[in-house]
This record gives sequence, structure tokens and C-alpha cells, in this order.
Amino acid sequence: MITQEKYRTTVKELLANGSIKMAIGYRPGSTSDRRRPLFIRTSEEADQLVLDSTCITNLSGYLVTEGLLSDEKRVGIFLRPEGIRSINILAAEYQLNVDQIIIFGFDFTGREVRALQGQTTGDFSALLSEIRENPPLATKEPLLERIEKMNAKERFDFWQQEFSRCIKCYACRQACPMCYCRRCIVDSNQPQWVNTSSHTLGNFEWNVVRAFHLSGRCVQCGNCDRACPVNIPLRLINQRMAKEVVDGFDHFAGLSPTQEPVLASFKKDDTETFIL
Amino acid sequence: MAKIGVFICHCGENIAAKVDCTKLAAAMGEHPGVEVSVEYKYFCSDPGQESVKKAIRENNLTGIVIAACSPRMHEATFRKACAEAGLNPYLCEIANIREQCSWVHTDGDMATAKAADIVRSMVEKVKRNNILQPIEVPVTRRALVIGGGIAGLQAALDIANAGQEVVLVEREPSLGGHMAQLSETFPTLDCSQCIMTPRMVETAQHPNIRLLTYAEIESVDGYIGNFKVRVRMKARYVDMNACTGCGDCITKCPVKKISSEFDCGLGKRTAIYTPFAQSVPNMPVIDKASCIYFKNGKCKTCQKSCELNAINFEMQDEFIDLEIGAIVVATGFQVQNTALYGEYGYGKFPDVITGLQFERLASASGPTAGRILRPSDGKEPENVVFIQCAGSRDPSKGVRYCSKICCMYTAKHAMLYAHKVHDGKTHIFYMDIRAAGKGYDEFTRRAIEEDEASYVRGRVSKLWQENGKLMVRGVDTLLGKPVTVAADMVVLATAMVPQPNAKEFAKTIGIAYDEYGFYNEAHLKLRPVESSTAGVFLAGACQSPKDIPDSVAQASATASKVLALFSKEKLEREPVIAVNNEATCAGCWGCVLACPYNAIEKKDIRDRSGKLVKQVAYVNPGLCQGCGTCVSFCRSNSLDLAGFTEKQIFAEVMGL
Repeated sequence: MITQEKYRTTVKELLANGSIKMAIGYRPGSTSDRRRPLFIRTSEEADQLVLDSTCITNLSGYLVTEGLLSDEKRVGIFLRPEGIRSINILAAEYQLNVDQIIIFGFDFTGREVRALQGQTTGDFSALLSEIRENPPLATKEPLLERIEKMNAKERFDFWQQEFSRCIKCYACRQACPMCYCRRCIVDSNQPQWVNTSSHTLGNFEWNVVRAFHLSGRCVQCGNCDRACPVNIPLRLINQRMAKEVVDGFDHFAGLSPTQEPVLASFKKDDTETFIL
Repeated sequence: MAKIGVFICHCGENIAAKVDCTKLAAAMGEHPGVEVSVEYKYFCSDPGQESVKKAIRENNLTGIVIAACSPRMHEATFRKACAEAGLNPYLCEIANIREQCSWVHTDGDMATAKAADIVRSMVEKVKRNNILQPIEVPVTRRALVIGGGIAGLQAALDIANAGQEVVLVEREPSLGGHMAQLSETFPTLDCSQCIMTPRMVETAQHPNIRLLTYAEIESVDGYIGNFKVRVRMKARYVDMNACTGCGDCITKCPVKKISSEFDCGLGKRTAIYTPFAQSVPNMPVIDKASCIYFKNGKCKTCQKSCELNAINFEMQDEFIDLEIGAIVVATGFQVQNTALYGEYGYGKFPDVITGLQFERLASASGPTAGRILRPSDGKEPENVVFIQCAGSRDPSKGVRYCSKICCMYTAKHAMLYAHKVHDGKTHIFYMDIRAAGKGYDEFTRRAIEEDEASYVRGRVSKLWQENGKLMVRGVDTLLGKPVTVAADMVVLATAMVPQPNAKEFAKTIGIAYDEYGFYNEAHLKLRPVESSTAGVFLAGACQSPKDIPDSVAQASATASKVLALFSKEKLEREPVIAVNNEATCAGCWGCVLACPYNAIEKKDIRDRSGKLVKQVAYVNPGLCQGCGTCVSFCRSNSLDLAGFTEKQIFAEVMGL
């Protein structure tokens, strides 16, 4: 509660002195454990701000709303560490300018909410490096451990089972801060690479494409997983992909706004000869 | 509505022997959109091409498929025929039913079925082909020649004599390269310096040649006709405008015992030096690593001795940016470090020397003024053993290839030795004598018959010192007996290897190299002087071991390629380049990073009032090489490759 009150005051101050034109935070949702995004432009709106352990959605995707940052004014946003990583990746992919973003960092242990020190992404670099070394999510996912133990056939059957439920609503895409393309590849129909109908093949295609497009970019915020109306454990795919990228390329996504995207960059001294 | 013509070539028996062309033509005639489907014995022949052109005109065809050999053979031929018939050449596709079908299958029916699949898939592609226009790029008429050895000099002079500008970059303080180090040259035994130094002077004085010595290539950007090259001028510490090359500083320099690179360690030089007396330009440089002043801040003897105040210890490396249209790479070779053969004792026994060291001993400008004196005690050796293939043709320890020049220079060394030491004896251990070339076999015969070189066919296994002699133990495989020769000096025919930094340098210029580091030609037989990168040509031993005649011939060939390039104001390039869909581009710039040719730029999209709406990727058509890396990277599928669009490829796959 103290953190929430403190941040309400900070947001009001920054709005009043013109440091930010808007703050993006959370407000009560339809039930006590759900939160909605809140776009604070006035002091009154700031009073609606809620900050507690149910504020788990990664809000960074709202920053790339077309036109929001084009006036070069600053925007404040409430972010947990993985959200800060998202900001770094979006900056590295030139979707936003970090100088325009004021971060209200927070995290929680159990139900205890605490503020994170700092305002710009650079202020959190030590924290992010720490997370790289000791990932809090590293995490006992009992399901992931179960899948790791399966053989290829069992694993394929498992995912086939899961994807058979997919209804191609693309809520995962909508919720993901990294899915900012103006036109997604699945919507491209000349040619139609990904089958649109929701049968298992098309579902597989979509989810595999998504996994690859997020490799080296996903911060495991879990937005997709929570958005999925048929409860496909999407976070597991991305978690596994992130691990592959760390193991294979020593690349932990979102450490800094200047980190080069792993699949787009190459080194001239690469020992492989496929690039001149 | 598509009107496609399908032309099925028999290629004599090459295709027709396996593929039933009549059946194939009939089947393709049934395919939707195919207007004409015919067969002929040789479509590449003049009447064959005429029949294609006639069919295009008479039927108003909208695209054609030539079912024949690989597009590498005749794509250009048929595209040209298309253009002559008034059809855009990029509406012509080749279905390869020879290399990829008739040549590799034994069963006729199955080969025919496969040929039908291949042709059908190309018909589906060509239905979706777009009209493309070749890209025109301007040409900067200035050539860059990298390397001032004989190959580089020849290329530079040929281009300059044809009236075009040349910049010649040499990393050593003087022109000359390895040829300047040689004594006499095979097969005519004319003095290397006598034929080399006039070329060096001519190059330095040529009005069309800008000479940059003691300089290295820092970076190469751009593309054929439009390279941007940055050259690092290493600090000489001698003002080239003031220096007259009088040599006073060299005489006065107190550091006199530095092993001379030019003399392969057999002679000494000073810290301020010219590599050799006939250096061009004849102006010294200071070797910073050996100079007393640079070591402890005191000395400056050279500066005091210089009456022209040409010596400047404050000098820094400088950079020169050049606009270049074509590049000739003539960076040469090195000799292999023979110390890796412990059994030959190189580096252990002073009188075991390399062939290049022997050249310095035999050279009139060398450390012994041309007398053959062994390095250990300066005595004239009475018995010299030459060991050929000391590193070449040895997959286990050396290099697998034949170093090409060693048979000839060893025969020459034996001859020179016989001419200088009249009662001396020579033994040459060899594997084969490879003397293919004009006057070459006659030359080795002369060494054997007139100069009494004793050739022993076999390898040397061991070499040791005994009673002041070098004992060489080998085998004479023709007699089937071991032999031991007591020698005063042993000369190793070491292999030619690429420059130690050849691979990194290739990456700087952007050309391909082989497993050893020799630069790859575009086609071993048909394009032997062009590198894999357009506008970059290869001359001399940087491509493979070569002797002087071959290097000079290749250098002149590169000059003719450069001049052909410079004969046009604009270049035409294949329009197979990446194209961006600006409406869907998300501006993540992954493509900018991924592009190996730096061909993608950021482009501003503005509204009518000039306000910036967004930034998108823009592919520079002059720079793009059409490799497709960006296409495969683009997440939103905004990038596509003209001539190989995803739509076309998809249709091709679905046609199977």
C-alpha cells in the first residue's frame, strides 16, 4: 500500500510539472484478482492507480501503440523486471526511444510489493544482469520438467494434443509486447504460408512460427500464456527457446537498449563460413 | 491470361536418351496456361533459337520455359533470344532436365515423370514472373591494384597505359615483391632485377598511376564500379616530399644489426632503411620497433645527419579515402616455414637454407654479392644437396598441393651453383620433375646434361651433422637403395603458401578463399581471373602458386577485365535484388544488421506536410547482391526477392 501511495504521488508530480504526458499503470478489473491497464493523464486518474501482487501483466506493449511516442514527449510506465527487458528489446529494435520512457519499477515477493530504484533502463542494468545469473523463474515448472523427460514422439503427441485446442484467435499475438508488426506473416496471403483454418497442421505452423519469431526476444512475461482462452501452456515453448538462445549464442534478451538482436547480427570473425 | 511456351530440348542424346521428349511435350501441352509445347534436337542452336523467337511472336506468349540443361549454361542465351522477340527476358525460365534429371537417372519412365514435374513447376513459376529491368549503376573509372610485386605492377601498367587511372597500394616500403629478391629467372636465366627494376621505375613515374607504398587497405565498402576504399598510410617518419634518397641517414644509423627481411635473414640492415639499394621509391622508413629513439627517447642521429630536415619523429598514420571502380588483388605469397620439418634441421643447422635464401646468395645485389658462400663460416660449399617438395605434396605435415615453381627453381639453383662453383657437386632429391611450360623441360634437361646436376629420385628421411658436414640420408627409389650424401650446404625447396593474413584480408575485401587461404576464382576454367565478388579480380600467386610468366599473363588478363568494365559509362546488373513492402515494414532494422553487403538503409516516410510518419527499410539496388538473407530474416514478410518472390517459389513448389 505504501508503495502504491508513493507512486500515485510521484505520477501526479511528474504530470503536474510536465515531465511526462501520460503514465501507464493498473486499475481494478472485473474481479478482485484481475487488473486492467490504466492510462493516467490527470491527477484524478492517478488516484485510480492500483499496485499490488495481482499486477502481473507486462504493459510495455502499449508503448508501441501507433502515434503514442511520435510527439517525442515522455511517457511513464509501471514495469516489473521482465517489462524493463521488453523495453530494452523494443529499443534495440527501434520501436521506441528509451529517453522517452520513465520507468516506475516494481516487483513483489508473495503479496509484498516493493519499488525498484531507478527511472531509465540504464538504472536497472545491474538488476537485469543479476536476473541473468539467478533467474527467479528458473524455476520449477513441473510440466516443463515432464516434457523434457519425454522422447520426441511423446513430445510431439503432447503438443499436438495442446494445439488441437487452438482456435486461432491470435490473443497470444495481441498480448505479446514483441508482436508489433503492422502486418503479421499469418495475415499475408500471397502466398498463404500459414494455414488460416484451425486444424492441427495450421495450428502447428502458427505456433512454431511464433516460437521462432520470439526466439532471442521473449522475456517470459507470460502475457501470451494468460491471454490464451484455451489454456495452451505457451510460456513453456518460449522458455525453452530462450534457453536454446542462451546456450547456443550466449544471448540473454533485453539486457540493454543497444544489444543487437541475436538472429539479425553476425560477427565477421564467426568461425562458420556461411557468411563472407 | 497466361500463354506459356514450353520448349523441350533433346540436347542430342543427353536428354532424349532417357526422357521421352515427345510424351513430355504432349503432357505439357495439356497443362493449363500452356499455349505451345514443342520439342527439338538443339534449342541452343541458331535454328533452335529462331524457332523459339518465332513461337513467341506468333502466339503472343507471356512467358516461356526452356526445358534443357542447367541455367548456368544457357539462361543468358535464351533470355537474349526472348528480348530479341520482344518479350521481357525475365519472363524466361529454364527447367533443368539434364543435370538434374536425364544424367542422373537410369529408368526412362521415371525420368520422364520427373522431367514433367520439373517443367510443370517452372511453368507455374513463370506464370507469376514479373517484368524486370536491369539495374544501371555508374562506373568510377579508377582501378585499385593491391600489391606491388610483378603481378601488381603488370596490371597497373597495362591499365594505366590504356589511359585509365590506377592507385597502386604496396604495404612494404618499396615496390618489387618477391621477384625483386630473385637472382636469375628460369628458363632464360635473365637477371630478375634487370627486368624488374625498369618496371618499378616506369610505374612510379607513370602519370596515370598514384603510388602508395608503406600503405595498407583498411576497409573496402561498396560494389562493382563504386567501391569506397580506405587506405592507411603507415608513418614512415620520413617526409617523402623533402627526402632525396641520399642515404646519409642510413649510413649514420647506429643500429646496424637488424636481420634483413629482404635478404631472408642472411644480411643485416639499419633501423632507418630501404629494403634494397634499388628500392622504388628510394626513400627510407624508420623501423619503429628497432629505433633507439622510439625505445628510450634518445638518439635522433638520422635527424641530425639529414640536411633536408626530412625526418619527422612526430609523424602519425594517415588515412586516404578513395573512390574506386575495380580492384585487382595481387597480394602474392609467402614461403612456408620449413622449421616444421624437424628431420631437415632448418633453423637448427645454419647451412640448411630455403630456396628463397639461396636466391639471395646467388643474387648480385645480395649479402654475398652473388658468391655462393655458406652462412655458417662463409666458405664456398663443395657439395650442395637440394631437397624438393620440402612441404609441398605432403598431406601429413605440409600442404597437399604442388607448389608448382620448385622443380624449376631447383634446377635453376643447381645450374647457377655449377656456373659459379665450377668443381662443385649437386644432388637433387625429388619426387617427380614437373617441368611443363615453354622451354621448361629443355631447361631441366640442360641442368642434368650440361651442368651435371645429379637427380636422385627419393625422399630424405634424416639430416645430421658429422665432422663439419651435413649428412643427408635418403633413398634412391630407382636403385632401391638407401643413400647418404655428405654435403656442405642443403637447400630446401619450400612450398609457396598464402600470406599469413590472407583469410582476414579476404574478409576485408569480401572475396572467397579456399582451405589454404588462396583466393577463389569465379570459375576455375571459364572465369579464372575474376573473384566471386563482381569488380574484384585476382592476379598472381594470391590465387594459387604461380611462376613469373603465369603471374604476368594473369595480371594482363585482369587489366583487360578492368578495361572492359571501364569501357562503359554505366553498368548493367541483374535485377535480382530484395524489394521492401513499405506499407508493412515495421522498421525493426533487423535486415540492416543482417545484410552482409550493407545494402539496406533507413528511409523516411513523410506525409504531404513533410511530417515524418515512419521510417522503413530501403534496399539500395546498386549494393544489393540478391543473397536473400534479409528476406529470410524479415518477420513481417515485408522483404521479397525480385525474380524469386515467395509467391513464385510457392507456386513452383505447389506445381510439383
